[in-house]
Amino acid sequence: MSQKISRRNFLKLATAGAATTAVLTGCGPASRYVTREPYTKMPEYTYNGLSTYYATTCRECAAGCGLIVRTMQGRAIKVEGNPANPINLGKTCARGQATLHGLYNPDRVEFPIKQGRSAALGTTAMKWEEAFQIVADAMNNANASEIAFLLGTASDHLFDLITDFTTAIGAPAPVRFGALSMFESRATLSQAAENLLGEAGLPFFDLANSDLVVSFGSNFLETWLSPVAYTRGFAKMRRGNTQKRGYLIQFESQMSQTAAKADEWIPVLPGTEGLIALALGRLVAEAKGGSTPRAFASVNVEEVSAKSGVSLEQLEHIAGLIAQAQAPLAVPGGQALGQSNGLSTAEAVLALNALADNYGKPGGVFISPLSPNEDAYHRPASAKEMADFIATLKNGSVKTLFIHGVNPLFEIPKPLGFVEALASVPTVISFATFPDETALASDYIFPDHQGLEAWGYQRSATGAMHSVLSGAQPVVSPMHDTRSTADVLIEAARLAGGKFAEALPFTDEVAFIRSKIANLIGRADGSFAAPEINTFASYFQQSGGWWSAAGASASSSAASALGKTIVIDEAAFAGDGEFFFIPFISPTLGEAGANKPWLQELPDPMTTVMWNSWVAMNPETAHHLGVENDDVVKIISEAGEVEVAVYEYPAIHPEVVAMPFGQGHTAYGRFATAKLPQDRFLGLVPHGGLIGDAFQRGANPADVLGAHFNKAGDLAFAGMKVKIEKTGRKQYLSRLESRIGVYGEGFPEEK
Amino acid sequence: MIRKFFEWVLSPMGRIAMVITVMSLFSLAAYGVYQTQQPPEQPIQFTHKLHVGLGIQCLYCHPGALRGPSPGLPTINKCWGCHQQIAKTQTSPLLKPMVDAMNAGVGFTWVPVAQVPDFVHFTHRPHIAAGLNCEKCHGDMTKVTIAENPQVMNMGWCLNCHKSRTEDNFQNNPTGDAIVSAQLEEKRTKLTDCGTCHY
Amino acid sequence: MTVDLNLVGAKGAIAEAAEGKWGMTIDQDICTGCQACVAACAMENNVAFVGEEDAGYGRTQHWIRIERFWDGEYPHVKATPFQPMLCQQCGHAPCEPVCPVFATPHSPAEDLNLQVYNRCVGTRYCANNCPFQVRSFNWRDYHIIPELGNMVNGTLVFPLHNQLNPDVTVRRRGVMEKCTFCIQRIHHAQDTAKSEGREVEDGEFTTACAQACPASAITFGRVDHPESLVSQMAHQERGVKHLEELNTLPRVTYLKEG
Repeated sequence: MSQKISRRNFLKLATAGAATTAVLTGCGPASRYVTREPYTKMPEYTYNGLSTYYATTCRECAAGCGLIVRTMQGRAIKVEGNPANPINLGKTCARGQATLHGLYNPDRVEFPIKQGRSAALGTTAMKWEEAFQIVADAMNNANASEIAFLLGTASDHLFDLITDFTTAIGAPAPVRFGALSMFESRATLSQAAENLLGEAGLPFFDLANSDLVVSFGSNFLETWLSPVAYTRGFAKMRRGNTQKRGYLIQFESQMSQTAAKADEWIPVLPGTEGLIALALGRLVAEAKGGSTPRAFASVNVEEVSAKSGVSLEQLEHIAGLIAQAQAPLAVPGGQALGQSNGLSTAEAVLALNALADNYGKPGGVFISPLSPNEDAYHRPASAKEMADFIATLKNGSVKTLFIHGVNPLFEIPKPLGFVEALASVPTVISFATFPDETALASDYIFPDHQGLEAWGYQRSATGAMHSVLSGAQPVVSPMHDTRSTADVLIEAARLAGGKFAEALPFTDEVAFIRSKIANLIGRADGSFAAPEINTFASYFQQSGGWWSAAGASASSSAASALGKTIVIDEAAFAGDGEFFFIPFISPTLGEAGANKPWLQELPDPMTTVMWNSWVAMNPETAHHLGVENDDVVKIISEAGEVEVAVYEYPAIHPEVVAMPFGQGHTAYGRFATAKLPQDRFLGLVPHGGLIGDAFQRGANPADVLGAHFNKAGDLAFAGMKVKIEKTGRKQYLSRLESRIGVYGEGFPEEK
Repeated sequence: MIRKFFEWVLSPMGRIAMVITVMSLFSLAAYGVYQTQQPPEQPIQFTHKLHVGLGIQCLYCHPGALRGPSPGLPTINKCWGCHQQIAKTQTSPLLKPMVDAMNAGVGFTWVPVAQVPDFVHFTHRPHIAAGLNCEKCHGDMTKVTIAENPQVMNMGWCLNCHKSRTEDNFQNNPTGDAIVSAQLEEKRTKLTDCGTCHY
Repeated sequence: MTVDLNLVGAKGAIAEAAEGKWGMTIDQDICTGCQACVAACAMENNVAFVGEEDAGYGRTQHWIRIERFWDGEYPHVKATPFQPMLCQQCGHAPCEPVCPVFATPHSPAEDLNLQVYNRCVGTRYCANNCPFQVRSFNWRDYHIIPELGNMVNGTLVFPLHNQLNPDVTVRRRGVMEKCTFCIQRIHHAQDTAKSEGREVEDGEFTTACAQACPASAITFGRVDHPESLVSQMAHQERGVKHLEELNTLPRVTYLKEG
């Protein structure tokens, strides 16, 4: 060999060495790390590699959309809509799609826990036998009047079971509540409908067949009442008629995602929406000729224009459009009704529909048909009713409080005093599936299955002109040692004996459900028929529920609505700040989506912000305040304060700031909180500090909402005025649309 | 320092050391490659030879091959269906793992042999539908005890068959029919398209 | 469809003016920006979420995203119609010729722009070249970040992995990815049809985004079949192709509002 190694030889050696290393790393039996475990007993209808589909119901909100879930080898892979369910007709929203991130969330309550109201989730599992006994003891060791149930918004089988139970034993009826129903002002909507039409129920607005929709702050494309159904309705309105493109007008103080689809977005001062409806009513009546109905006769249009900030020309222009439309429809939204004058605002908007004579007609207003097996519309509790409920907790009338399907410590504004009231309740038992704030503040957590692991049914309160009972069945076996809450109550009642056992004489939850759907067997107007319960229950399970044929519930004539003078008081605003504060439900997170990572990663449609909160503020306003994008400001109301980063939002009234609800958790898992300091770009520690072992992610606008109610009892959540202070800190928001702030760029050199 | 090292490497001592190093690395590599080609340890010494020899069809235990992507592995219940009636089950030490598993209510954890990487989406159904026998790819099961691959299942091997079965030659198109030619070409396009298997 | 490479020369290129095979229409007049398509795509295709910090740096993996621009100033400000943007499966894809290892060929059989993960070495030239900016790169092993898992008896377990779709490859760090028009669903439908001895019917299957969209704004199907719904939608007067002047021959037709 020569003395030197030539370059060629060196390369050869190097290559051989590299190849050897590469081969070595993949060698040996250690690389056989894949194993396969077939079923021990495979279900008869399953083949390896082929999926099995189950029909069930989405439990992410109260809309009750039907789902078909694709499962593979016992794992739920993908959620699709059930094409047969009249509410969603095969479609799903983002929150429904992400329900799998709830089922397979790494932070679930995996077994019953003696939580003891401590800040961190307990780690010691109890036995379910102990849990049943504790519930049984709670039943036995208190007067029936001292047992209280707090449930979520949806009217479902658990609500029925507990209603029957409490009625039988003489306990107070269960209270249903949730942030969504609070921000939708449901009580106001149904109260106004009852006042005007004499019929209690939730109005349904048939967007699909309308050619002109005037929305007063209604977020029907986001989370309002039944977003999938209303989105479908909107799409049909827009483009369903080949002759005419549907027109949408939105009066709203900020441009929401729904307002972004409007052909005309008209910014208004909060609290003036009702006045605008009255003014439009008067102008439309005048445009059509003939007499002006009493409802609109006393409104002064110029005054309305001055108060609302909408020019006279614009009001006249819109009135002209309404007068010429074939099927105009006015929709009152949560924001307009969540004011001190919300009830009369709702009446004004409904009266506008009466003027258009669209009640009970295609493109108009209907009362949503009652769900099967519903004697009357039982709406969720209003905020005032919640406040009364909290008062009973506080004065010691409740010995045991059961909580399911709602997170009051997060969803109820703090000034309503739920946290303080809990201290007066000796035993709080949570059935939470996830370790949220309320679960941690409970004495015990007896976790319910996640929605996709559970039996049940859910009523659709609105969304289609069918009477719909959406059925749920487990699509996978429960992942953890959880028990269906209905089963827990049935077993505890059995253990408690006496009147409790008599109140729930069922072997289990499924037996209860069957007893509730049995009376549908004889009906001929449904999606299927069967001669007896076993066949009926099979079809119910397989098709995902039972629904009647489409039918308009004949709405009473609304002529009387026009005969009554509608007086709209000036909206009262709490606090003396200079800005109106408008919270809105995050369209991506909904009320309970913060623990699902893919929902956090979805950009907000209007700001494209991900994983955090923001306060939307007009750029001029920001300039006056001396703040810019990503500056953290303190928002102070008479009820509380929050700190949140600024988003300079071009489409918002300069006197209004808006903030999304859904973020700002201090518990609820690793995705809803921030394990590492949020302000990672600059390594700054956020304001909230460590809670447990995590930081608060974002901020909760409910912290600044005061206990003010409108005449229907709904929270006047849009009736706060706030002060805004600079903090001098920055919180870089992750935006899809730009990298502003991220690399220290995008800010003007001089302030 | 480095210069000294290179000088030592070029010295006779150094050269011998290099040769020894290279040879040991090479034999380690060879051993490693050999190891990857050995059939893995399975939870029970299932002999295909015996069972196939008894006349049991592949599709009896692996029915998924006919319908979908994965032929599947039989559940332990399938084994027990016959084995509960065979006296030897209770006495043979080789069958003890099955008895234990049945008593415990669990199944076996098999190590799959005929694997392709997870960026390859192979589906059995069209291959069975095309008339291929199981033994064409998996070998003659009457000759093996523990399952092992008769050849490496790599992309070249797949493509060879894909190409040869779609070639416009006498075997595939004996009459030289133009329609068959066109079909073969369409088939070939599909079978040599990257996206057919890699997605 | 067969391709005579002698005619067009460059690898993967399809003859000029060819309609394409699979295509989509997106009605911007009824898209509400709700992100249901984004969530559905992520669930179907094992798209990883990257967390707040990486999202801030622009490393999100959204295969489809909703774009919103502003027009004018308050009070005469309008949000431009929501614009779902996804891989256009261009006939003349600018991402194809620049890959040094041919990891993104054009499918002769399906006329789609393919992404072959095992071939990709992560030069990111394709993403650089894409005028629609629809390609995303796996900067980390986003699926197995330790913070996503739980320690169970000494092993790190990822419950979220139970949701992963077995029909779609789970990508490791270092590879590009993008919308595939749900090619796994295309293959599944074709295989089912083949096993039943028939052709795939229009509307028999669709992409995850189209299936989820509550407004039915997305239509998918065979744009080379004139009787398919997507063809009829695409030939409306208000149909446009974005960045048409670049002549990349996108297969997605956007229906303008108005």
